[in-house]
Amino acid sequence: MKKISIGTVTLAEAGVAKGMLQVGYLPEGYPMEIPVIAIRGHEPGPTVWLHGCVHGNEYCGAFIIHRLLRALDPKVLKGTVIALPVLNITGFQRNQRMSPFEGYNGGDLNRCFPGKPDGTLTEQMAYQIFRHLREHADYFVDMHTAFTADTRWALFAPRDGELGGKAEAMARAFGFANTLPTPLDILGGSALIEAAKLGIPGLIVEAGGVGAGFAPETVADAAERLQNVLRRLGMLPGAVKDHGKLTFFSNFAWCNATRGGLFRAAVKTGQRIAKGDIVGRYYDVHGDLVEEAKSPHAGIVLAIAGGPVMPNGEILVHVGLDPRAA
Amino acid sequence: MDLLEIGSAVSRGPGLSKGYLKTGELPDGRPMQIPVIILRGARSGPTLWLHGCVHGNEFCGAFIIHECLRSLQAGDLAGTVVALPLLNITASERNQRMSPYEGYNGGDLNRNFPGNATGTLTQQMAHHIYDQLKRHADYLVDFHTAMTVDVHWALYANMPGIVGEKSEGMARAFGFKSTLPAPPDILAGSAMMTAAKDGVPSLIVEAGGKGHAFTDEIVADGAERLRNVMRHLEMLPGAVRDYGKLWYFSNFAWVHASRGGLFQRAVRCDDRVEVGTVLGHYYDLYGDPAGEALSPNAGIVLAIHPGPVMASGETLVHIGLDPREV
Repeated sequence: MKKISIGTVTLAEAGVAKGMLQVGYLPEGYPMEIPVIAIRGHEPGPTVWLHGCVHGNEYCGAFIIHRLLRALDPKVLKGTVIALPVLNITGFQRNQRMSPFEGYNGGDLNRCFPGKPDGTLTEQMAYQIFRHLREHADYFVDMHTAFTADTRWALFAPRDGELGGKAEAMARAFGFANTLPTPLDILGGSALIEAAKLGIPGLIVEAGGVGAGFAPETVADAAERLQNVLRRLGMLPGAVKDHGKLTFFSNFAWCNATRGGLFRAAVKTGQRIAKGDIVGRYYDVHGDLVEEAKSPHAGIVLAIAGGPVMPNGEILVHVGLDPRAA
Repeated sequence: MDLLEIGSAVSRGPGLSKGYLKTGELPDGRPMQIPVIILRGARSGPTLWLHGCVHGNEFCGAFIIHECLRSLQAGDLAGTVVALPLLNITASERNQRMSPYEGYNGGDLNRNFPGNATGTLTQQMAHHIYDQLKRHADYLVDFHTAMTVDVHWALYANMPGIVGEKSEGMARAFGFKSTLPAPPDILAGSAMMTAAKDGVPSLIVEAGGKGHAFTDEIVADGAERLRNVMRHLEMLPGAVRDYGKLWYFSNFAWVHASRGGLFQRAVRCDDRVEVGTVLGHYYDLYGDPAGEALSPNAGIVLAIHPGPVMASGETLVHIGLDPREV
C-alpha cells in the first residue's frame, strides 16, 4: 500500500489516522493548520479525497463528511478515504467565505488551485492542500453550500470521455436530481476543475445554506449519498441505490445583484422559472418596494440569495440552463 | 395637529412621513443616519414607538415593522406610529450585532440607553435615539430575534403600578405564549427598561433568528400581532383577539457556553428541560464526539444556539424559569 504522509497524518497500512496539515502561519506566528483524517481499508481499492469548508462559512459540508467518517470501518472499506473537512479554517472561525487574514485580491480558495508556494496567503493554502491531493486522489468530492437551507444540486467534471463517464457515475450515485455536467472552461482554479484536468474525476455537492442554514436531515441524507458513491466505486459493500433520472443542464448562469437593499426571495431552489420571472423583491429602509429582481434566464433555480440585506454585486441567483432529463 | 419632527421626518397632519435621524458620523465624515417612518392617524390618540435592529443582525423585526406599516391607513388610525426599523444601521450593513465602528467596550446598543451625548459611538447613538423616544413615545415595542427560526417569546417591563399593567396588556395583546414579566432589575440599559422607568409601557418581542433565519410567515404573523396590540391600545378599530393563557416565568436564565467547537443543538424552542438535560453535542475537527452541553436550569427553552460552530462565551441557551400558565 502506498504510504500516506499528509502533515502529521501517516498511514502505511489499514487503519485510521487523524492529524493536522499546516497550510500557513497566523499573524502571531502560530501555525495555520487544518484537520486531516485518513481511513484505509484492509482490502485495496481507490482513494477518494474529500473537501469541506473550502469556503469557510459553508459548514454543512464538514458535518456531512464527519458523519460519513464515523460510519466507515477499515474492516469493511476497500481503498482509502482522505478527508479535509475544514479547509479554510480561519474563514470557518469567523463565519466568512474567505480568510480574514487574506489582505490581497483573490481570497476565494476555490479559485486559487493548484496554488503557489510563494503566493498570497490563499494561494499558499491552496498549494499546501493541492500538492497532496494530486499525489493521492483517484476520485474527488467537494462539499459546498449555497445560501438557503433548501439548496440541493451537484456538478461533476470532466463531462466527456472515459473520465467523464466516471465522474458521471459518481454524480448518479450521489443522485441529486439537479446536476450539471461541468465544462472544463468554467470554475477555473477550483479544486474540481484543476483535479479534472489532471485526470481525477470529481463531484461538487451543494447541500444546504451558509452558516447555520442547514438541517440535520440534510447532513444525514448527504452522508448516506456519499456512502452510495463509495458503493458505486466498489469501496463499500451493498447494492448501489439507483436515484433514477436526473436533470442535466448545459451550464449554469451566475447572476449578480445590480442593486442592494432589503431583499426577500420570491422563488425556492428547484423551481422552474422563465426569463423575466420575479426571483426576489428589494425594499428600501422605509419598507417601500423599490425593485422586483427578474431572472435574465429560463431554467431551474439552483441557488437564491437569502438576504435579508445585501449590497449590489452579491450573487442574486444561480440558474441551471436548458434542463433535460438524463 | 401639532408639528411632529424626528430628524428629517416631518409630519404636519394625518398621513405618512419618512426621513432620517442622524445618530452619529462615519469615519469619512458622512452622517450615520437611520430611517424614521411616522404614520399620523386621522384621529388623536397615543404614540406607539417601534424599534427594530437595535442589534444589527436581528433583521426580522425590520420586516415585521415594514409589513405592519404597509397595512395601515391614516384614516383608520387614532394616534401616531413612529418606527425606527434599523437602529444600529452600520451593524446591519455588516450582519453583526454591534457596530463595526465601535472601538471600545460596550457596543451593545440595547445596554446603553438612555445614552450619553459625549460618550462612545454607541452611547451617542443611544442618546440621539432615546432623546426622541422620551419626548414622543407613549408605548414602546422593541423587535428582536434570538438565534433560530423557531424563536417566539416576549418580555414586558414588569414595573410596579400602571406602567407594569399597561406593559402586561400589550404583551397579552401580542400574545406570544412564552412571556416573561421582566423584573425591573434585569436588562439595565435596554430601551425597554429605560423607557419603562421613565413611564413608558414597553414590550420586547423575540421572533425568529439572526440574519435570514426567519420566514415570510413569521413576518406576517408578527405584523398581525402588532396590529392586535394597536387594537388593544384603541389605535385601530376592531375586536382585540384573545390569545388565551400564556406561560409566565419568574425570570430567564442567560447561559453562556463554557467551551467552543463544532456544535449541533439537541433541543428546540418550547422544549421543557430539567437540570442536566442535553442541550446539544460538541464535535472536534475530526468529527469525533467531544462532549455535551447540559442545561444548568429547569424550565422552557426560549432560545438555543444552533451552532454550527461556537466560541466559548457565546450565548448557549435562554431558559424561562418557573413556568406557570396565566
